[in-house]
Amino acid sequence: MIEIKDLHKSYKMGSNALHVLKGINFSVEEGELVAIMGSSGSGKSTLLNILGMLDELDEGSYTLDGVPIKNLNETKAAQYRNKFLGFIFQSFNLINYKSAAENVALPLYYQKVGRKERHDKALKYLEQVGLKQWSSHLPSELSGGQKQRVAIARAMAAEPKVLLADEPTGALDSKTSYEVMDLIQKINDAGNTILIVTHEPDIADMCKRIVHLKDGVIVEDKVIDQVRAQQYV
Amino acid sequence: MFDRDIWQEIIYSIKNNKLRTFLTGFSVGWGIFILVLLLASVNGMQNGFYLQFNDDATNSIFVRSGSTTKAYGGFEANRKIQFKNNDIDYIRKSFPEDLEYISARYYANTTARYKSETGSYSVQAVEPEYQIIEKTIVTDGRYININDLVSKAKVAVIGRKVKEDLFDTEDAIGKFVEFNGLPFRVIGIFTDDGDDNAERSIYAPLSTYQSIYGNTDYIDNIALTYNPNYDLTKALSFSNRLENLFKRRYKVSPEDQSGIRVWNYAEAFSDISSFTSVLNAIGIVVGLLILIAGIVGIGNIMVFTVKERTKEIGIRKALGAEPGQIIKLVILESVFITAMSGFIGLFFAWIILAIVGPNIQSPAFANPSVDFSTVFTATIILVVAGVFAGLIPAMKAANIKPIVALRDK
Repeated sequence: MIEIKDLHKSYKMGSNALHVLKGINFSVEEGELVAIMGSSGSGKSTLLNILGMLDELDEGSYTLDGVPIKNLNETKAAQYRNKFLGFIFQSFNLINYKSAAENVALPLYYQKVGRKERHDKALKYLEQVGLKQWSSHLPSELSGGQKQRVAIARAMAAEPKVLLADEPTGALDSKTSYEVMDLIQKINDAGNTILIVTHEPDIADMCKRIVHLKDGVIVEDKVIDQVRAQQYV
Repeated sequence: MFDRDIWQEIIYSIKNNKLRTFLTGFSVGWGIFILVLLLASVNGMQNGFYLQFNDDATNSIFVRSGSTTKAYGGFEANRKIQFKNNDIDYIRKSFPEDLEYISARYYANTTARYKSETGSYSVQAVEPEYQIIEKTIVTDGRYININDLVSKAKVAVIGRKVKEDLFDTEDAIGKFVEFNGLPFRVIGIFTDDGDDNAERSIYAPLSTYQSIYGNTDYIDNIALTYNPNYDLTKALSFSNRLENLFKRRYKVSPEDQSGIRVWNYAEAFSDISSFTSVLNAIGIVVGLLILIAGIVGIGNIMVFTVKERTKEIGIRKALGAEPGQIIKLVILESVFITAMSGFIGLFFAWIILAIVGPNIQSPAFANPSVDFSTVFTATIILVVAGVFAGLIPAMKAANIKPIVALRDK
């Protein structure tokens, strides 16, 4: 599903360049649930940005579902993001004047799906995250956990190839975190490929594979026995 | 364009910045308000000017006689010049190319009586072609024709006011009215736009009046129209030739401005036209300058809006919004604010014109109004202005990197 070869990325900071990613080789198969771990400055966010087509790689290659991701213009990148990727953010990033259903429907809007169909699909995904009865509520009327579940529904609405989650539980207490992880595990059980960036070991343990980043290189890449979040809920 | 989601967002954005939107929108509304009022005022002046002239065909020339002020050709000064019937034939023969219509005029006053009603009116004794020169509209019956002239018939075409005075609601056509005791048959009734005084006069055949008053061939002055294909230069050249010819014919000094006067409407008309078009241009320039201030304001508010919504735009782009869609959103909002403000300004200007306009009674100012083309032009200006105001902020918005939505925690 994801194939990264010899990926390099550096940022210019004034006169000297900061080499953030120093040759990453990494691949993800369909249906995997991968945690990308590392302390701050390890390059995990940069890696996620590149995976999310929010940033461009300097060297190496990135193939997503067989499509080489290279030299995309803004429009093309937007179309690819819409088609291939679903984003889940730490701070949820819901649009605050749109109802839960409208937020979920937003990626479909950019796919030029008709209004009625958009709404139906949004309700379907809200039902999957258990928030159908909250569909007409504004984000301000939802709890943190509910907001993240709406965001997950939104990420799934466009039926992307890969879900990218950047610290999805970073702003939640542990009980809510486990609820969200339980949901993510269930979505993964249904066959969706998910990448989670986190620095919390207990969250990483709930994935099926942990990739450890340190100083821009992968220091550890292991398959683990998944801890089910269900038992903590 | 008629996408509900886009409008929802625009309305949200405006709602969130009510005061700011109002203040900047006000400046655009104000600009359009002033632009429209200025144009309407110029239009009012133009109407006022034209109203002074619209009695007559715009290609008309009037030749009048007076008393000489200079001794010339063996004659002393203060000689009265008197035109005669043969002057008409003379002009006809001298300027067959230039001339369109021509008529002599002879003025008299009369006391008219029908049954118990009487009134005092001016009579213009004219020839049939005078109807076209004066643009007289005959609403009932007919105008004087050549038979009336040949037979010196005692017939009259009376103004609408004269008819009202003497006949009230009674049918006047075919009835006999006494003019200073002589019975004249009413053959027609005429109206004149916007000038009640003109409707208090009477037309009669020239020959009839000449025979009644001393059996003369005297005429007071000559009205004519020139070839309607003539432009201003040709028209002026014609009236100059006419003036020179008449001065020679009556032995009036070429420098004498009072013995014979040739009054060419084309000249006055072109003066007024250029005057009002300059005023118009000034109005447009001043209005547009004020409008520019408003447009800069709109651009300003859009820059703020985009800045405030940076994160949201980043999220949208992460979710798959293309730059074009973001640009469309910002520009539509800008056009919407600009157009709404502009139309409100237009509306208020229109109300003021509707209230004040009809109450202005001044000969030089009439019916100040904006026509459809002004409204149409203003609309185009507003939409274009809105696009321009939104362009820079929209580009800014489109360039927002979605990465900021992720980074900003």
